[in-house]
Amino acid sequence: MSVHLSRRTLLGGSVGALGAVAAANLSGCGVQAPLSIPTAARTGTPAPGGVMRIARPAASAAETLDSASSLNAYEYLGALYNRLVRQDEDGTTVPDLAEEWDSDPTASRWTFRLRRGVRFHDGREFTAEDVVYSIRHVLDPEIGSPQADTLASMFGPEDVRAIDPLTVQFDLQAANAEFPSLLTSYHCYIIPDGSAAEIGTTGIGTGPFVLESFTPAGPGVVVANEDYFDGRPVLDRIEFYSIQDATARVNALLAGQVDLLAQTNLDHPTARVVTGTAGTTVARVENAQWYTIPMLYSSEEFSDPRVRQAMKLAYDPEAILRTALQGEGDAGWDNPVPPGMAGRLDYQREYDPERAGALLAEAGKEGFTTTLHTSAYEANLTPIATAFADQVAEAGITLRITNVSADSYYTSSWMQTPLMVSYFATGRPLDQLLNQIFRSGSGYNESLWENQQFDELLDAARADVNESTRMQKYQDAQQLIIDESPHMTPLFGDRLVGLSERVVNYREFGFEFDYLGIGLED
Amino acid sequence: MAQLLIRRILTSVVTLLLASFLVYFATSALPGDVAQQLLGQDATEEALAQMREDLGLEQSVWAGYAAWLGGILTGDLGTSLVSGEPVAGIIGGAFGNTLLIAVPAIVIGVALSLALGVAAAVRRGRGADTSISMISLAAMSIPEFVIATLLVLVFAIAMPVFPAVVLMGDDAGLGDLLPAVWLPVVTLVLVMAAYIIRAMRSSTIDTMATEYALTAELKGLRRRDVLLRHVVPTALLPVLPVIAINIAWLLGGVVVVETIFNYPGLGALMIDSVSTRDLPVLQAIAIVTATVYVSVNLVADLLAMLIDPRQRGTTRSRAAAPKEETA
Repeated sequence: MSVHLSRRTLLGGSVGALGAVAAANLSGCGVQAPLSIPTAARTGTPAPGGVMRIARPAASAAETLDSASSLNAYEYLGALYNRLVRQDEDGTTVPDLAEEWDSDPTASRWTFRLRRGVRFHDGREFTAEDVVYSIRHVLDPEIGSPQADTLASMFGPEDVRAIDPLTVQFDLQAANAEFPSLLTSYHCYIIPDGSAAEIGTTGIGTGPFVLESFTPAGPGVVVANEDYFDGRPVLDRIEFYSIQDATARVNALLAGQVDLLAQTNLDHPTARVVTGTAGTTVARVENAQWYTIPMLYSSEEFSDPRVRQAMKLAYDPEAILRTALQGEGDAGWDNPVPPGMAGRLDYQREYDPERAGALLAEAGKEGFTTTLHTSAYEANLTPIATAFADQVAEAGITLRITNVSADSYYTSSWMQTPLMVSYFATGRPLDQLLNQIFRSGSGYNESLWENQQFDELLDAARADVNESTRMQKYQDAQQLIIDESPHMTPLFGDRLVGLSERVVNYREFGFEFDYLGIGLED
Repeated sequence: MAQLLIRRILTSVVTLLLASFLVYFATSALPGDVAQQLLGQDATEEALAQMREDLGLEQSVWAGYAAWLGGILTGDLGTSLVSGEPVAGIIGGAFGNTLLIAVPAIVIGVALSLALGVAAAVRRGRGADTSISMISLAAMSIPEFVIATLLVLVFAIAMPVFPAVVLMGDDAGLGDLLPAVWLPVVTLVLVMAAYIIRAMRSSTIDTMATEYALTAELKGLRRRDVLLRHVVPTALLPVLPVIAINIAWLLGGVVVVETIFNYPGLGALMIDSVSTRDLPVLQAIAIVTATVYVSVNLVADLLAMLIDPRQRGTTRSRAAAPKEETA
């Protein structure tokens, strides 16, 4: 019996699959299989127990399990520890180790009441002293925690106190009605009192999994915490493996060596290959990537507000979303608050290239030409830069695209070049997002914007204990960003996550990962 | 002969010194802030300043070079900026892992390539020659990452016989590595075979055309004996440097192949150290690689002298020591 394979089928098939795998990071031009990428993770009833294998890019060979550190091994944190509070899907602050909290009428003294009967993995009982210790640990200048500045601007180490074993009190130097949301940061996990010196390797927390082994930039294992206060997790074990090369990570998934790729945004051709391969599929973290184009406020090019306004009016974010991200995300319309987050201003600015041209003429900048910096630092930056340059060309703006080395992009270009494409992960709570990225003088204010009215709005919002008028102030602040700031948000991109078809109930948003419910089918 | 040896070894030492100089100054001139890389993008200014001081980044490049060179000579390669472990240990482990794929690749690759080269030469112009030439040419033209990806696609994904990557990283034991070495080995053999096959083929053809080979054949020696005893040893000479370069390339850690297979060897270590600006590790790898290149080439030269008396002769006439003839 002879098997007849049409030559075209054979060649076409193999070239397609190969080309696409190669295209994963080689910019090959593979033939793409006409597949659509699933929009949501599979849900279902997992088999109890099971071992999940997760491939992750290690932060560094010096990575640590100390969440306060800038080199924390991110994927372990949610499995090992809890915070006082966490975020739910629409950005609302919800209980974690704190059961409830309230403030005095001026929103400057905050009291958190803690969950009773919680134990650390070593058997010690969890108390208010642990919370005080953990927060002071984040504030410790020696640690250099990225969250330290945000917290230290509101209170010092002495301002957080244990009132009784299950009550913690913060005395803020200035009122902040959104204070609890700032404790949802993934740098604010609670560790046992006095454990700072060894927490980086012991990983002792109160979380749903207990550390069995951990090698920085190497493998590690966590096992189910039978006594977890919110019920035992579905899985018995999670094995973490470090794979630095993105293609190698995808290969490991396709070969069935791992079940999930953490912190890996598959590019479109690769996502199609993963979807089309038996045994593997794709889920997405919606709007996980926040792409930005900051115009430098202090630069000569963008000192004129008319030029900045023209830049915004000149481009259609929907078009950029279609060309650069194949529609996998949402148009931003220059509002930095991701769609779906509570408190987002519902407003779409105009798209009017003609008026953009007129504004430039008015400003004496007809035929405005400048350089747009981009980099391979993240896969989508350059497609966005190209699509943006195409768009503004219609308004008579010429952007010369310059590709900068990924190594030095954030050290030598960021906050220094007049125009660049940048990105953040979404997941910051509303108040932190606006304060950290847009307030005058903030270390993350990437457009160097300075606007007194905006800063005052944020202060007024923080001091406003009335939920609805406070939200109104945050929305006014967003309006100001859209209308006047030199900061553009063309779009939010979905993160395409590769995983095994056996994985069910995968849920991830912002900096939250559901370790409790995720499981494997038989 | 002894003088020649000494001269050859001295040249190697000078080459290594030059290499160390270039390595140190090139890595020092790399753009990017080591402290920033180590602490991450979110690091505070104070933490960065502290780190720079701790690392001795403020001292002069010349003083740094002198200290570094002194360290190498006394066997102290320094400590990694990232993990804080001694560099010698880190490199030793990675080099061992690289050997695990390099040695089989060298043994299989060189033996196979030489045999195929001779076979192609003997059957010059016939079907076998054409196919060997064409296949080796094709393998030579395909970049190793494509070959590696193809092999993974076929032998790890379509037919899961071998693992696609090494999961355990530096913690990988022999048991983890043994099943994982075969795809890298095959990739490397395919990539390096072509050069050796082609060199061996043309060299064998040239040698078969020499008068002494013809004489041997006309004297009635069997073809096989002519080939193995008279042609191949001579034909090997010009191929030795080609083999040497390939061996050095393999021992230096094959960056692309190791990265694709997440193989914890010297090449992957190099990529990691570049991205984390771990200069002591990077410099040590560069110097280890340079040493490997220099010594493998030295060995190849010495081997050539051993096989070919003519190579000893050229310098001996200058040395004017005819009594060494008996040596």
